[in-house]
Amino acid sequence: MTLAAPPPSPRRSLGDDAFWAVLLLTLMLYACTLASPYELRVLTLAGCQALLVLGYQFIFGHAGALSLAQGAFFGLGAYATAILGTRYHWGFAATFPLSILTPLALSAVVALPVLRLASHYFALATLGLAQVALLLVVNAGDWTGGALGLTGVPGIALLGAAVPRGLPLAAVVWAVVAAGAWLSWRLTHGLTGTAYVVLRSDALAASATGLPQTRLRFCAFLLSAAYAGAAGALQAHTLGVVSSETLEFSVMVACLAMTVIGGSTRIAGALLGALLLTYLPEWLRFLQGYALLAYGVALLAMIILAPEGLAGILGRALAGRRRAAGLPPAAPVRLTGSRAATLEVRGLTKRFGGVLALDRVDLIIEPGEILGLIGPNGSGKTTLANVISGLVTPDAGAMRLGSRGLRGLSAEKIARAGIARGFQTPALPPSLSTLELVALARASAAGRIGFLASLLGRDSGERRRRFEAEALDLLGRVGLASEAERPCATLPPGLAGRVELARMLALDPGLIILDEPAAGLGEREQAELGATLREIAGRGIALLVIEHNMPFLLPTAHRIVVLDQGRVIAKGKPAEIRRDPAVIAAYLGRERLPA
Amino acid sequence: MLTILQLALNGLALGAAYALVALGFVLVLNATGAVNFAQGDLVMAGGYAAAALATALPVPGLALLPIVMGAMALLGIAVSALAYFPLMRRPATAVFVSTIAIGLVLQNAALSLFGPEPRTAPPIWDSEPIRWGGLTLSHQALAVIAVAALLVCGQGWLLARTRLGRSLRATAQDREMAAALGIPIHAMVALSFALAAALAGAAGALLANQFFVTPTAGGALILKAYIAVVIGGWGSLAGAVMGALLVGLFETVVAAEVSYTAASALLYAALLLILLVRPQGLFGEAAGRRA
Repeated sequence: MTLAAPPPSPRRSLGDDAFWAVLLLTLMLYACTLASPYELRVLTLAGCQALLVLGYQFIFGHAGALSLAQGAFFGLGAYATAILGTRYHWGFAATFPLSILTPLALSAVVALPVLRLASHYFALATLGLAQVALLLVVNAGDWTGGALGLTGVPGIALLGAAVPRGLPLAAVVWAVVAAGAWLSWRLTHGLTGTAYVVLRSDALAASATGLPQTRLRFCAFLLSAAYAGAAGALQAHTLGVVSSETLEFSVMVACLAMTVIGGSTRIAGALLGALLLTYLPEWLRFLQGYALLAYGVALLAMIILAPEGLAGILGRALAGRRRAAGLPPAAPVRLTGSRAATLEVRGLTKRFGGVLALDRVDLIIEPGEILGLIGPNGSGKTTLANVISGLVTPDAGAMRLGSRGLRGLSAEKIARAGIARGFQTPALPPSLSTLELVALARASAAGRIGFLASLLGRDSGERRRRFEAEALDLLGRVGLASEAERPCATLPPGLAGRVELARMLALDPGLIILDEPAAGLGEREQAELGATLREIAGRGIALLVIEHNMPFLLPTAHRIVVLDQGRVIAKGKPAEIRRDPAVIAAYLGRERLPA
Repeated sequence: MLTILQLALNGLALGAAYALVALGFVLVLNATGAVNFAQGDLVMAGGYAAAALATALPVPGLALLPIVMGAMALLGIAVSALAYFPLMRRPATAVFVSTIAIGLVLQNAALSLFGPEPRTAPPIWDSEPIRWGGLTLSHQALAVIAVAALLVCGQGWLLARTRLGRSLRATAQDREMAAALGIPIHAMVALSFALAAALAGAAGALLANQFFVTPTAGGALILKAYIAVVIGGWGSLAGAVMGALLVGLFETVVAAEVSYTAASALLYAALLLILLVRPQGLFGEAAGRRA
């Protein structure tokens, strides 16, 4: 495939740069000239919190899962530093990496069972984990000093020289924060960051876009633990003491409040939230007991009124100056059909309670073939599509794509094997533009979604522009080139279906499953769609099309399979099906199929 | 033998109070698809309400209970208005966070109003314990079990036998369908919050006599109630009650024989294990679709 050199990638706006410059200068000026030793200590602690929040943004902000174990990971890092430093007198060069590794290892171990859980199951499982950690620390007194904790944690020593408390320590901690912020920006500013938007908005959309959901969630959880460990270690060095208070729920709640109030996905949000909520109690001393009350009220007000946090408000205020990047020229995508293979389904059976939804269904789809699937309502068509795409587990039967067995594979793995799926109600993430979505699917098919890819810059800059250029070509093929910048939420149903088709093509599939693609289309649009499907099949891609609309399907499909009450009652060429008495009886109540 | 009986009685009393918390949990979760993280703090608020009322009105706890529950129902409606309705169309995590914020507000309000010292509510029924052979039956434990049983049965009757209960269940099962049938779904959701808070308040008033109440007492309760619901499965009230009784018994017996810490640690470990192996609950039907 040949490509014109893509135009330069969009630059960050002047507003962003100005914000960072002002914030950094203010902090440095304050630290160097105005702050007393006490104030420097508060500033250093705010840095530890900023690092904690930067980590929490991965799992809570980007992956959208309420983890309540972040406080425990923080405490674990603090205790690792304290125990290794006070009992074994290890230096910073050894304790700091180990303080990161300890919570990282724990998160990797618990991720396997815990990350599978959704919604409140995940929240409460991580809360349970945090409670176990707290109980262990309080009761392993020999190691941890029990409820009293450990004192005399040594300071930081770099290259053999001790870093004195005060300004030098604050500088070291904030340097680590800067490194953490840079890494976080690097990992999330490209298409991988966009992938997380889809992941947290709609699981079905994420799976239809081919995103490696499990891996994305796993990496976010691990990173949040690693950042928390580093933050805990730095706080232990700053305070010189570690007690079981570090593991209490109040630390977790403070972290959550900072993340929500500052903004849960932006780096500026982590810094603003941590600084504000560390300093607020200092400023609100006159409120005394009511300061924490104000904290709760602020958290509630922010989650209701400004879900994007202070950074979101600030970002919108500055967005006016953002330079529009413009669309890249379309880059032609060659649909190779290279993953096309014969889909073979044998004896597929699925029961829902007492209802036999699928009854020993046999089906073969060859590469380049359009197979129409028809049948009365409730005959099992959508169930069959759900079973083939891995959304529903069959009770019996075999499925193979080429030589590969599909039964028992997750929807994610089946999608990656080359089976793309469209839905009756299109599963599109509302906030993304059609171009972003299709580019994301393209990057996903190329294996460029994930933290390793984003660390290496494979999902941003020029490479992102290339995915966008290909996406524009695919959108053009389904007649949507003019809607590239339109948010998915504003698309009427007919266009939404076409976006789904473009997204499926982006995944370079071997088999495409469509559920009533002609619904709601006018006659001319139906003819266009039919031609598009024929053209796709011409590239060697197989299509399974569920449809009620015979005037559309009969001329489009090569072969038709008829389901009734979960059983295949007929299969053959459209002309044969039209004359089949069993089909006419079951499907149309003894009327003739329309020509 | 006698100690075991006594322990069992105390365990059942504790479990009965947990059951009230767990039922409120299930009510709100089914009605909204979101967990009310302030449920434990509502129990704490109920305990303080009973303690504060007792200083003004020197009557037995049983007489205070309806007042506490009424006040808590109002608080429950306030919670739904602040923490649920503005966030209805947002992901469930937003409601988790808003109810955590409500919990924070309740805790610190209690701290400001009552101070950090533990308070105690009046006993349900004030009299000498019954002695029966060598067995001492505390009135309080029996009263807690009786009151909780009454409330649980009342709730079961409300949900199963009344028109209001059917509307509540319809709203929980399929909100759009319920709305299409003319059921005022917002009122039903608010009512679920009110009932949940009233039950939590009752639990608080019952627990605050034996166990005292402090501003942070709610934190552990939410996990215990959640464990009860996880054991029982999300669909059934009976399952949640069974789960709560099991948790109460287990905690009391293990705390007496080994230590309170061991009891808690084992319960949390059990939670993780059940979520891993059988997230739909031990006795459970399928987990709720919207959960």
